[in-house]
Amino acid sequence: MDGFSIDDVQICRYLRLYGRAPGAALEERINAMRKAADAAFRPARTWRRFDDVAVAGGAGSQSLSKHLAGCHAIYLVCATIGAEFDALQRRTAAKSPSDAFVLQAIGAAAIEALMDETELEIRRELADGETLVSRYSPGYGDYPLSEQQRLMALLDAPRRVGVSLTDALVMAPSKSVSAVIGVRAGEST
Amino acid sequence: MNTRTKNIFSSGHVFLLDGAMGTQLQDRGLKPGETPELWNLSRADDVRAVHEAYFAAGANAVYANTFGANPAKYHGDALLEDVIAAGVRIAREAAKGAGGLVALDVGPTGRLLKPSGDFEFDAAYDAFAAQIRVGAAAGADFVAIETMGDTYELKAAVLAAKENSQLPVLATVALGEDGKLLTGANVECVAALLEGLRVDAIGFNCGFGPDMTLQYARHLAAATSLPIAVKPNAGLPKVVDGRTVFTVGPEEFAKDVAALVDAGASIVGGCCGTTPDHIAALKGLAMRTPPARTPPADRTVVTSGSRAVEIPADDTIIIGERINPTGKKKLRAALSEGDVAYVLREAVSQADAGAHILDVNTGVPGLDEPAVLDSTVQAVQSVTDLPLQIDTSDPKALERALRHYNGKALVNSVNGKEESLSAVLPLVAKYGGAVVALTLDESGIPPTADGRLAIARKIVARGAEYGLKPSDFVVDVLCLAVSADAGSANTILEALWRARTELGCRTCLGVSNISFGLPARPLLNAAFYTMALSRGLSAGIVNPLAADMMTAYKAFRALTARDSACGEWIASYTDWSPAAPSATGGQRTTAASAGTNASSESTLASAIRHGLKSDAAAMAKSSLAGGKAPLDLIDGEIVPALETVGRGFESGRVFLPQLLMAAEAAGAAFEVVRTALPQQEAGSVKGPVVMATVKGDIHDIGKNICRALLENYGFKVIDLGRDVPPEKVVETARRENARLVGLSALMTTTVGAMEETVRLVHKELPCCKVTVGGAVLTEDYAARIGADNYSKDAMGLVRYAEGLFG
Repeated sequence: MDGFSIDDVQICRYLRLYGRAPGAALEERINAMRKAADAAFRPARTWRRFDDVAVAGGAGSQSLSKHLAGCHAIYLVCATIGAEFDALQRRTAAKSPSDAFVLQAIGAAAIEALMDETELEIRRELADGETLVSRYSPGYGDYPLSEQQRLMALLDAPRRVGVSLTDALVMAPSKSVSAVIGVRAGEST
Repeated sequence: MNTRTKNIFSSGHVFLLDGAMGTQLQDRGLKPGETPELWNLSRADDVRAVHEAYFAAGANAVYANTFGANPAKYHGDALLEDVIAAGVRIAREAAKGAGGLVALDVGPTGRLLKPSGDFEFDAAYDAFAAQIRVGAAAGADFVAIETMGDTYELKAAVLAAKENSQLPVLATVALGEDGKLLTGANVECVAALLEGLRVDAIGFNCGFGPDMTLQYARHLAAATSLPIAVKPNAGLPKVVDGRTVFTVGPEEFAKDVAALVDAGASIVGGCCGTTPDHIAALKGLAMRTPPARTPPADRTVVTSGSRAVEIPADDTIIIGERINPTGKKKLRAALSEGDVAYVLREAVSQADAGAHILDVNTGVPGLDEPAVLDSTVQAVQSVTDLPLQIDTSDPKALERALRHYNGKALVNSVNGKEESLSAVLPLVAKYGGAVVALTLDESGIPPTADGRLAIARKIVARGAEYGLKPSDFVVDVLCLAVSADAGSANTILEALWRARTELGCRTCLGVSNISFGLPARPLLNAAFYTMALSRGLSAGIVNPLAADMMTAYKAFRALTARDSACGEWIASYTDWSPAAPSATGGQRTTAASAGTNASSESTLASAIRHGLKSDAAAMAKSSLAGGKAPLDLIDGEIVPALETVGRGFESGRVFLPQLLMAAEAAGAAFEVVRTALPQQEAGSVKGPVVMATVKGDIHDIGKNICRALLENYGFKVIDLGRDVPPEKVVETARRENARLVGLSALMTTTVGAMEETVRLVHKELPCCKVTVGGAVLTEDYAARIGADNYSKDAMGLVRYAEGLFG
């Protein structure tokens, strides 16, 4: 897999700095935590194309139908930065909640970056005249969270990328994302 | 025991397994997301045909179509037993004609175990046990545990196989491209764990093709003397036209598998994407006698879920001693109250200071030791990848902790008493592990080295009856105070050397007992530690936060050519100077040398406002040294500085990370000042507040932030961690007489558990308030589930608590 690069601006967004500069002391912590995180990332992702939009399920979800309107195919995607990051997060939280807060912001930015990178790769698979709509996940709008189970099964996610669901339908490892990406006719961007 | 299969695993010929089932069924119409095992009932002919094709291709054994047939995936489906029994029966039917064997195929549960997930070890064990009982009764010849990506789940599966059947066990794991499991374990870790659990063959399946498997097969051959199995994919999966395909053909596959046999594999087959043609191409190999393997040298290796640590014969390591309540008031209190966070900080700080293994002892009179040791070991494992030394004299506590331990533990300890030998050695043999052998028996501790050696010899000999080797023992010749017996140190040093040279065992020693009853103990301890190291001590049980001890350790290694190019010494002491104000070796602790901060004024208040933790501690220290009264420092500088930052946060000028950093800096300064305060004043804290992330929820960052801030605002917090059942919250709040409980939940799916906890607290403890917080909560929502207060952020919680506790 190609690397994925995490944007400092995104990290600051997840730190809820609302556009302000982090300042020297915080910046130093961000850099230290980035280094620790880099050693713990074990990114994995899997995706699968279905030429039947109904595969996404939705249990009658209006918002999903609206989102996929005009699409003739979908990709189901699941990605994670891995369980070792969670171990680092727990270790860090035991000694410094502020470092743990910085770290989780880095993890959130990392999984988004990994999904962006994955989407770019999927774009390369598209036929001429196809383009993607933005990704959509269970829990958005009225697309029920319980549909996670369907997505995980279709992707064989526990085996392919080591991502599973808890009883409360939380994804584990914690920095993991699953999504439906619609394919429609149009110029690819 | 099915000896027939056992013999075949080590018969001198290469043993041929089958290829893929899943991809074969997909070719026959299995849809994505469809459960393959249900075909045992609906499409039995197809399943049988796949088995028959593999036997026809030359396989000696096939895996029944039971990979995912466990209760965790089938969620109480009544069909499950039929599915498993039918799977074994179909394979048996195919085997009958061919004269081959049938494995019960046991794959992962599809659930992530704690601590990264929410699945309990015991629940995983139960799922595997149910599957294995049915499979064994249906007539499987051996159990094939495969595609495991987590050592913890692997251990649950192996224990289930051993305790619920007499069948031989073949266990294989799925490596990632970096040669590690999903949870981070490397090959050495897996080998040590599985050898300890005494499986019959070990190896790899799935993951990637045979070419990439080669280097890891070599690692495995160097780490184990067990038969090695490989079942690689037909190359790496590729996506072509939206389908996952495997592109390595039978001939190429066979060529690469032959190299695996040369590297030591004697059981071979295929995983995803392999076909009967791939197995047929291996037929030639099955005629071969695999090259003889050189058994690896006996090493003493213990592991965690992701790290293997050798207790070396020619070097020395550190066992951190601090998680042991003997003589430690704070730790004793934390264990009694269930304050997990305190224990976890002790674990992480020792790991950061350079410990290689951590001792965990929870022996506090009046506590339920089996329960507390078990939960403490699991909690400590959640924050460190260091292997643990499980330290207890209660065999019940030992067994429960060993069973739930992720990895191969160091057991502390067995001694020469019959009672101890017969209780502890069988546990080490069953769960795997290295064990500390204390040289005492019914008559006490012998005064001479001869006497101690005799006991060590007896323990090692008894171990052999359980299949334990000398390298499974770490002899502790016992450190007695030199103040009570002038010859004590000489006896210890002689016994250490002889345990190493005459018994071939590794050694450990609780070094600091030597100075008991004498002044300036750290100085004596460090001197004696150096002497013990030069007499062959493999593992000192010491305080890694004691600078003198770490200096002795690092100096010994630098001076005896164990620290390559003195690299560790140089890295640790480059900035050392004799004028350093504290005794913490080479650490830079003064404000001046850490002067990279943004502020030009260097006061304690400024260090706190800027979130400079070590500066704040150093300045508090120098203020005290300069004659400032401790309470003046707290009321005049620390509290106002933190208050300034808190108000800044409330008005939107300071953001959460800065607030947290300031709180931590204030906490570091508090810690310095508290040690200078008289006992009764130091103890004047508000609270306690019991905090927990509710049952089912594993996201606890918000709760941790609130805890940190409350603590630094002078509240005592008992942090129960995450995924906490309502009953435990109530029980703790009742015992500690808490007037406030704080709960967090992140997901809409776990707010139900929060509501239940609120209700139970109110019912059982009418005087106790409940405050809640979390991403999906609002003031309205909180009121609806019955909470007394909702805090939108950590400062809000501090203000509420201040109001409540006055």
